[in-house]
Amino acid sequence: MSIQLPIAGAVGAAAVEARRAGAPAWLAERRSAAWEAFTELPMPSPQRDEDWRRTDVSELRLEEYIADPGTAAAGEALLQAMSQLRLRAAPEAAFVASTRRGLRRREGTDMLDAQGVIICSLDDAAVQHPEQLRRALSTVPPEESKFLALWNALWRGGCFVYVPPGVEARVPVWAAHTAAGAGAAIFPATVAVLDDRASLTLIDVYASPAGDDDMVSVAATPLVLGEGARLDYCLLQQWGMGTWHVATHRASAGRDARLRFFGATLGARLQKAYWEVLLDGQGAEATLTGICFGDGAQHLDHQSLQDHRAPQTRSDLLLKVAVRDEARSIYGGLIEVQRRAQQSDGYVQNRNLMLSRGARASGIPRLEIKADDVRCSHGVTAGHIDNDQRFYLESRGVPRAEADRLIVRGFMQDALDRCPHQGVRELLTELLDEEIAGHPVAGVSSDEDVA
Amino acid sequence: MPERPTLVVEGLHAAVEGKEILRGVDLRVPAGEVHALMGPNGSGKSTLAYTLMGHPKYEVTGGRAGFDGHDLLPLSADERARLGLFLSFQYPTAIPGVTTVNFLRAALKALGKELPARQFLQTLSSEMATLKIDEGFRARYINDGFSGGEKKRMEILQLAVLRPRMAILDETDSGLDIDALRTVAEGVNRVIGEDIGILLITHYSRILEYLRPDAVHVLHHGRVVASGGHELARRIESEGYDPILGAAAGAPA
Ligand SMILES: Nc1ncnc2c1ncn2[C@@H]1O[C@H](COP(=O)(O)OP(=O)(O)OP(=O)(O)O)[C@@H](O)[C@H]1O
Ligand SMILES: [Mg+2]
Repeated sequence: MSIQLPIAGAVGAAAVEARRAGAPAWLAERRSAAWEAFTELPMPSPQRDEDWRRTDVSELRLEEYIADPGTAAAGEALLQAMSQLRLRAAPEAAFVASTRRGLRRREGTDMLDAQGVIICSLDDAAVQHPEQLRRALSTVPPEESKFLALWNALWRGGCFVYVPPGVEARVPVWAAHTAAGAGAAIFPATVAVLDDRASLTLIDVYASPAGDDDMVSVAATPLVLGEGARLDYCLLQQWGMGTWHVATHRASAGRDARLRFFGATLGARLQKAYWEVLLDGQGAEATLTGICFGDGAQHLDHQSLQDHRAPQTRSDLLLKVAVRDEARSIYGGLIEVQRRAQQSDGYVQNRNLMLSRGARASGIPRLEIKADDVRCSHGVTAGHIDNDQRFYLESRGVPRAEADRLIVRGFMQDALDRCPHQGVRELLTELLDEEIAGHPVAGVSSDEDVA
Repeated sequence: MPERPTLVVEGLHAAVEGKEILRGVDLRVPAGEVHALMGPNGSGKSTLAYTLMGHPKYEVTGGRAGFDGHDLLPLSADERARLGLFLSFQYPTAIPGVTTVNFLRAALKALGKELPARQFLQTLSSEMATLKIDEGFRARYINDGFSGGEKKRMEILQLAVLRPRMAILDETDSGLDIDALRTVAEGVNRVIGEDIGILLITHYSRILEYLRPDAVHVLHHGRVVASGGHELARRIESEGYDPILGAAAGAPA
């Protein structure tokens, strides 16, 4: 029998202790409780957990990844690459960037500062705006799952945004999360609380250097929309090809609130992402739109929840997936309509395009409807590039590769059109073109290899 | 005098899903001429069109097809298009998400006929005006939700913009109202010239009154069974195919 010594900075009790130090009591306690929950909860298994039937993380040894990189990692070049991405898509946006070492950049916030919008790390929010942070964190309880427990125990830095009542944030907030180096573990945290009638565009980006360094990212994004609040949320997942990524994006929408959720999944070796909206207030509505491009051996899993908990709520989800090579896409979606949520509408559509023989995609939406006066529907399709469409383009001289590019882009177009931020839409269009042309865009380019 | 670029089809056999449809088609269409191809439903006209354009579903089982001295059969569809071939589809395919303007730009580029953006848009505008196509169609997705007549106009718009050297028009006149038929026929007329040949598949002599074919051929059971001048089309219109096919069937093979 051999005794394994903990690796310095690894995911473990010492890393939790490091985060408890200096935290307010409520947060220190929360972290301890979360760590305890993490150690007690079993790793999800395809046999036991319905959610995880098709996504196997049993090989993932969380305790072997490094949460605290010590002093070696500077990450300046990587932060610069993240900033470049922002300048390309949304130069007007306030920019907040985090690495494993916490919040590292906060730029261009003047206009929002003047409006009274609060933008800071979660650590600072825990001290200065505990009520708002706790309100948001209460929607992502540690006991719920192994990964949420771990996230609650170990998040650091991150991006906290609070928009006061009636304030329409004039520029978007761009939250970047980045890490680099084999063995890195990062716990990205983006939290937004929009008070009544507030509005905000929030762009949430996850990226690491291109390449296939073995890393893990466990993320959570609690989003709280007060009465009549409006949130446009854009998510770009561009981890390098060696990253395991498990994320919970969960929005709760108050009365007459409106959420436009747009997610793009391009990177990671394996992703399990929960996209969830809880329609808590009467008249709340949400559109959820996703584009996903998988290649190589990527395994990309999206799990959505549209929970109608109040009358006259509306939700509409569209997920477009293209997979190539040996890539695999899994989609599971649930529309739940509670008994009191009369006169609600909920829609789900998942369209999959398989570009190679070895690529596979499946979609299984479910409806659970407890009210009687509702309209709900779901649709899933999966297919290959249509030969007649390809021939039509070729008959005009367009070579096969370009014809396919046009068709795949065309396939994604209606989803892209739903992206609420024009610059992000244009960036995604370009990234997608690169993906389709066979240059995977997982990761950003940077000379730096550790952060 | 050098021979004009010519579409040459000799003894062409083709099968679809294992079933032989073309059974020895012979045809010569030189640039500068308009040839009409008629024939009963199911006689193989569209099959010939697809086979010449290189649709992978149609398998050539014998014979030859060439254009301008090149063997067409080993070429992919896009290579044939770059050689100057064009097909106006009987049933144009919708491609959601791909706008007409982007598609035409990609096609021109592929054909090596790229225009500066401004000039391209001007050309497109003026061709659309001539064909009475609303400007809004530029940004619409190819054939997506178009009416039958709109699709046919759009095919001719592509013909006008892409300027091929040999155009096969498969029932471009079907499903058009009287005014649209004239517009489309005029559109075709404008591209007709010394440097383009046209193989016009049709059921009606009406469009031929506009386009004045140099020859009319009748396809039956996958073979050209009769050829003649414009009067052949008129005769088919008034008497139907029976007398011609009867005579052809009676003739020694
Ligand atoms: N994909 C296919 N599978 C099976 N049979 C086919 C296929 N395509 C064509 N055929 C058959 O080939 C024959 C010729 O069809 P084609 O479409 O070429 O006729 P056509 O002369 O163009 O007729 P129309 O005047 O109605 O357009 C028909 O019997 C048709 O059913
Ligand atoms: Mg036909």
